[in-house]
Amino acid sequence: MNATRLAVPSKCSTAALAFALLVGCSSQQARKAEGERPAAKEPSGSSPSQVLRGYKLHAPPPLSSAGDVPRFIDWAGASHRDEQEDGRKLLAAASANRAVAESFIKEIESSQRVDHSRALLVLALLGEMKSPVAEAYFREFAMRPLPERGTVIEGEIIEQTRQAELEGKAADGLAFLDTESSNRALMEIIARHPSKIVRAEAINAYLWNHGDGEEAKKALSRFVQKDDAILLDRVRRLTGETAETFNPKLDAFLRTHPEAVPPPPEKLPTARKPGERRPAYDAKPPAL
Amino acid sequence: MRTVRTSFALAIVFAAIGLSVKAHAVCDQSAASQADRDLWNTHGCWQDYFLWQYRAYDLRGGDWSGRGWNDACNVLLEYPKHWNGSFLLTYGLLDNNDQSFHGTADYRATAEAASSNFHESIHDSIGDGTALFGSYGGGAVTTYCPLYTSTWQNSNPASRGGDFQHEGWHAWLEKYNWNNGSAGGHRPGPTGACTVGGCDYFYFHGISKYLFGDMWQNDGTANRFHSPNQVQVEFLCDVADQSQSWVPSSVRTAAKTDADTRAAQRFINGPGYSCGSARPW
Repeated sequence: MNATRLAVPSKCSTAALAFALLVGCSSQQARKAEGERPAAKEPSGSSPSQVLRGYKLHAPPPLSSAGDVPRFIDWAGASHRDEQEDGRKLLAAASANRAVAESFIKEIESSQRVDHSRALLVLALLGEMKSPVAEAYFREFAMRPLPERGTVIEGEIIEQTRQAELEGKAADGLAFLDTESSNRALMEIIARHPSKIVRAEAINAYLWNHGDGEEAKKALSRFVQKDDAILLDRVRRLTGETAETFNPKLDAFLRTHPEAVPPPPEKLPTARKPGERRPAYDAKPPAL
Repeated sequence: MRTVRTSFALAIVFAAIGLSVKAHAVCDQSAASQADRDLWNTHGCWQDYFLWQYRAYDLRGGDWSGRGWNDACNVLLEYPKHWNGSFLLTYGLLDNNDQSFHGTADYRATAEAASSNFHESIHDSIGDGTALFGSYGGGAVTTYCPLYTSTWQNSNPASRGGDFQHEGWHAWLEKYNWNNGSAGGHRPGPTGACTVGGCDYFYFHGISKYLFGDMWQNDGTANRFHSPNQVQVEFLCDVADQSQSWVPSSVRTAAKTDADTRAAQRFINGPGYSCGSARPW
């Protein structure tokens, strides 16, 4: 009993000491970290310019069997803009290779809820193949039901947006195939898909694959939903496009759609007073 | 007795550790997206850069503890992902005044902490939770788990850089006393062509209409003005189409998709620009 009675304060002192040490250390650490610089556990490596000098351009891995696919995806994800044609040639050459297409599909299915950027990339690669296997897959994938519940940010269910972005990429693949059946599937998406993200991308992709011409707009106008009609004239900035071609397109869009001209911005009735701010560091970043 | 005492003390310690972990909950730190990893491999964890970056964004160690502040080369963690995004923003653009919407000078001044024509001084923090991508208030830009947890579509360096633009632009609105709406600095939606809860106008402008460094300018009319979502779309389009050749394909693809999605769903007055070609890859 005595021992127990004596042990209680003793336990408390030990616990209190441990707790105080922990809390003390923790807040001390937090204070110490505040204002301190970040650190790495690894020693400093090469600068990016050295890393990039070591990158071997125009050396894609082969793409002739299902076993080649994971390595090809890794290469494609990391590839530079100048290497796009290298990859496109290999993908086109594998167009009739069922095993390769099916391996891409397997990768999309396994990555879509784990790594969105990889799933997007692989959908893009499969689309670039123009494979008959891909057509059937894209038709089914693009019309998969969207999640109706999930994480809401500003009224948007982001799981729904995630799935819609992937379905839009499948629509790109259908438009690039440009067969009678793939275009029929695309029109179905444009007319009936519940997501504006997917419908907008399907319209965009069809128009781009048909030279953005009036004929293409006319063909689509039978299918587009009333509220989507403006998407037929949506302004696209192509890679490398200059003011000479872009600006007249924009002017024409605003002439055709005066409803797209925004109202003047508004000032707040009273000025907000920013609180006390500490002066911030303003120095040039290190040279690449 | 000694064992009992020790066990009791240990239990308290573990409970306290549990509390401490709860107080410093973090986003999912088990993975980085392909786009994050591909960009990361272009710099291989460049320490000179992050030792500049934490000051340029006024990051404070207390905010980032347990999130890679002391493990800044671990791309699974939030702080390394944060600086991976700003690395893209700092070095990744071509800056072709004949083709880009805006230049690095604009995007850096919007995202970085220093006071300038773009905003009063700001600092970057991080918050747990999934109810927001980012927020701005009282000089603090706070980014949340949907930008860091790899399962989410915006957990890639381009979308993170885009969010730095978006939140930095709220600081611009504050500096110049503009009213962009009552729904967290946006117009309440859905309204017009906007399908979400926070909507903006798109103030269309041509290419070469702003010299690099002039994005902060406005003439008080809709002819020369930007909204937060618009600045974000223009940045993402510039990453997709006007980036350095070494910017990885996975990053450009993610940037284009985020830009096109945002342009289709967040503007009251119709769709913003679409970026680049619709060729799959």
